[in-house]
Amino acid sequence: MYDNDNKDTNMLKKTFFSAAIAMTMAAGVQAADIPEEVIQQSFYPYKEGVPSFNGLQPGMTINQSNVDQFKDALDPAMYMFVKNGDTEIKVGETTDFALHPSYVEATRKYSADVQLGAGQGEISPTIAGRPFPQEPSLDDPRAGEKLAWNYKYGYNWGDSAAIMPFYWTTRDMASGKKERTIKMNFHFLNFTHRTSQEPYPKIEPNPSELFRGIYVQVLEPFDVKDTQLLIHRFEDDTKVDNAYLYLGFQRRVRRLSTGQTTDAFLGTDVMIEDFEGYNGRISDMKWTYKGTKHLLMPMYNHNEMELDTETHQDEDGYQVIAFGGKGGCFPNITWQLRKVYVVESEPVDPNHPISKREHYMDAQTFIIPRNITYDRKGDMWKSWTIGQAHPDHHLPVNKGTGVAIDDSFTMIDIQAQHCTTGQFKGIVDPEMSPVDKFSVQNMRSSGR
Amino acid sequence: MSKTITTTFSHLAVGVAAALGTGLAVPAFAADTTWAGYVENATYLRDGVGLSKFRNTGQAQFETVFETESLRSLRLNGTFRGTYDGVYDLNDGEFGKGARHNYLGENWHDNSTLSSQALLTPGVPFPCENDPTLCNNLDGYMDHKESDAKFPDFNDKLDFIRELYLSADKELTNGDVLSFRLGKQQVVWGKTDLFRVLDVINPVDYSRHNIYDELEDIRIPQWMLTAEWRMGPNEVLDDSNLSLVWNFDKFRPNNLGTCGQSYRILDAGCFFTSSVGPVPIIHDVEEPDWSLKNTQLGMKWEGVYGDTTFSLNALTYRQQLPSLHFRGNPLGFNPAAFNPADIATYPFAADGVFDIKFPRVNLVGGSVDYYSMNMDAVWRLELAYTEGEEMPRDTDGHKETDMLRYVIGFDKNIIIPELGTRSAFLFSTQLFGEHILDHEADMPNDEDNWIATMLFKGFYKNNRLSPQIIIAHDFAAEATVFAPSVSWTPDNHWMFNVGLNVKTGGKETFPWSAAQLPGFNDFSGQYEPLARFTNGPIGVANQEDELQFTVRYSF
Repeated sequence: MYDNDNKDTNMLKKTFFSAAIAMTMAAGVQAADIPEEVIQQSFYPYKEGVPSFNGLQPGMTINQSNVDQFKDALDPAMYMFVKNGDTEIKVGETTDFALHPSYVEATRKYSADVQLGAGQGEISPTIAGRPFPQEPSLDDPRAGEKLAWNYKYGYNWGDSAAIMPFYWTTRDMASGKKERTIKMNFHFLNFTHRTSQEPYPKIEPNPSELFRGIYVQVLEPFDVKDTQLLIHRFEDDTKVDNAYLYLGFQRRVRRLSTGQTTDAFLGTDVMIEDFEGYNGRISDMKWTYKGTKHLLMPMYNHNEMELDTETHQDEDGYQVIAFGGKGGCFPNITWQLRKVYVVESEPVDPNHPISKREHYMDAQTFIIPRNITYDRKGDMWKSWTIGQAHPDHHLPVNKGTGVAIDDSFTMIDIQAQHCTTGQFKGIVDPEMSPVDKFSVQNMRSSGR
Repeated sequence: MSKTITTTFSHLAVGVAAALGTGLAVPAFAADTTWAGYVENATYLRDGVGLSKFRNTGQAQFETVFETESLRSLRLNGTFRGTYDGVYDLNDGEFGKGARHNYLGENWHDNSTLSSQALLTPGVPFPCENDPTLCNNLDGYMDHKESDAKFPDFNDKLDFIRELYLSADKELTNGDVLSFRLGKQQVVWGKTDLFRVLDVINPVDYSRHNIYDELEDIRIPQWMLTAEWRMGPNEVLDDSNLSLVWNFDKFRPNNLGTCGQSYRILDAGCFFTSSVGPVPIIHDVEEPDWSLKNTQLGMKWEGVYGDTTFSLNALTYRQQLPSLHFRGNPLGFNPAAFNPADIATYPFAADGVFDIKFPRVNLVGGSVDYYSMNMDAVWRLELAYTEGEEMPRDTDGHKETDMLRYVIGFDKNIIIPELGTRSAFLFSTQLFGEHILDHEADMPNDEDNWIATMLFKGFYKNNRLSPQIIIAHDFAAEATVFAPSVSWTPDNHWMFNVGLNVKTGGKETFPWSAAQLPGFNDFSGQYEPLARFTNGPIGVANQEDELQFTVRYSF
């Protein structure tokens, strides 16, 4: 339970907060509990200027010959890849990835009294916005947990979005051979913590108090066609996700045990738990804030990148990000120097297949573009890059949404010299992710 | 990879609207069509027999999604399949119209009991190519010709159309969705593998590969209309849905495999073409004609409540397995006067011992999935209670009895690093139970019986290499099947599978009253004809140990 609270009180508090939202939004009243400088620092870190690193300039390339000079601007895995000659890093300008104003406003209004509960994964009732906009402190033993909550309740894909289509390609990194390409559609929907798409702050009815839904539908190849995955995450973080799988050849929905969320998803190098940087409960991990750094992050303008002319064509003229480097395992994108929170997560479950992840959280957006996974022995196992595109330089429909668009990914199994790459067409459009798409019945009706 | 074709439809749109009775003015609309499919060869070698399957299959499926503003979604789906099984050309000594058996049940038991030695003749392979009387008696059921077995999808039932249906979703003003699906289709209820409890809407073709092929490939699609009212969440349930299914197709029973085919579950096909002396076992097959009252209707309410998904089901349908109705001697039967040389003294009619019928059955049942957080595992429960089914018995052919069938399933994913992979192994086990409520001593089926199944499947090399073992054990038959296999999927197109299918058991006998008549006086257990029910699909196939290769190219 939360500090000095009980469930009934919480429910009462939630009801009160809901009413408060409606009232304050209607009246345009602003609470003044969170100092404006905290808001400005949290959401607009580059307002007073972008970070710099000695010798680093937009337009330059970091490669094997000069990487040592920029070692401190790279995370250890990226440094290793460049040092080995596996890839090069093209440096772009640091740009403002401003989130949607409604999310910032919700933070102003509803995050003043948010506090952690007594136990891991417990938090006082939250309505919307960034729960802990204050700068983290190394002196705060629970700073990592607060940052994890900021990620969980972050703006991420906004209130709803779709990736249609989404190409996942498995590759032998040593030979560069493409093994399998899986074409999918992904859909995301926040049931609660909504700020920009009606209804907000939550969708009702919602008897199990779901926080978020993720729905995946596989389109190709034939042997996994019509496979569907549905994940329901609860507002109560201590409750295990409900996950459902529909297999096309069985034509029925099966419940998944959580063991499968740490398994290779459809044989790729990605776990369900890896989705978006971390796709699990806060309470499944012990979170530790390790410091703030300025690091190169895979964030760019999609329309200015090298695009893949073969994998995807459509009537919008949209093309996906091209890949290159060793084994074709690296997106051909630019990286920009950004303020980053370094956070470690260690599984609570001793039987979990990993020992820890290092997350490199973007301080402005709280997305996680870079992650390094360590195996149970503590050796570096996987490098997880999720390239983020600015919404104003992507599809026209995404302009002004304030969503950092997940746009390219690579999960590299360093030990197996194997990778899975992802090419996205991300669309922030509520029409594509209606509530009933996130139901068990939808899986049955969408299957054959 | 599938191919997408964009085109424009107008006449079809009108037809769609008319078919659904929407009364909507549907303008011409664009449509995207995607195609996918595969070609496959399955070559199976049976111990002591040689080639038992050389099946070559081509399957193509399409989905056309229409763009219309009147409906939430509108799509047309079709699946077409063509199969040629070359085993009847390549191993015609064992299978096909020219195959001959020395005694009934030669393929699953020895010739040590009286019933198969002297009382029953061997089954006649493909009777319509060898015995006009038997062919006439079996008219309409299990009367395939060899060409039907070679090309099982090409027949007057248009079985090459595996599926062809139109689906439409209409969103109501309150956010609920009404959905209709009309056409030839499979409707799947239940949550079980290998054996069926609630999944009984479509009959099954066991002649393709006994119980071992995916049900997806052996369900016999039917022309049906399904309607769903998707209510979504409410104050109590996270999801709620009411569905109706109307199977208006002409009734089709399960295909058990005609005598002469390489797979004939329970060896029923050969039993049906056997005779007692000169008297055919089967006199007639009474398949229900098409009429409104002979159609089948089902209803299901399903939902999600917290960690539990559930369904409540009701179905009125017809028994898909044949029920044998005994035809007694119209002149009466006097055991004391029985003379094996005089047909007139036999206990049954001289022109056939049984008629095959398919009685009306009413089913109620339900299913529950529950995720146990403590065990990190999923429990599955499925239950079906039927009234109207008929079970075989010795002295009276059959008896109508209520039946209770149930299954408890347990699924868990386990990571076992010691086995050389970081991927989780799937462990899935099921226990099927069957209880005959009005059991009689002369029924070959036990009053209670259970079949246990276990699947253990692993994944290596990014799931491209996948070994697995399936084990199933029938407690009454004391029969077990072991089916280890390994599949290799090197890329998006190719799949190779090699497996074994090895059975034990099938030794159970059951006394047959005809063998006890004066002149025979054999009161010992018999294999024929009733023990086939006791030994079940695993035990009766006890000599069908196979090495199986499959290669598939998908596009």
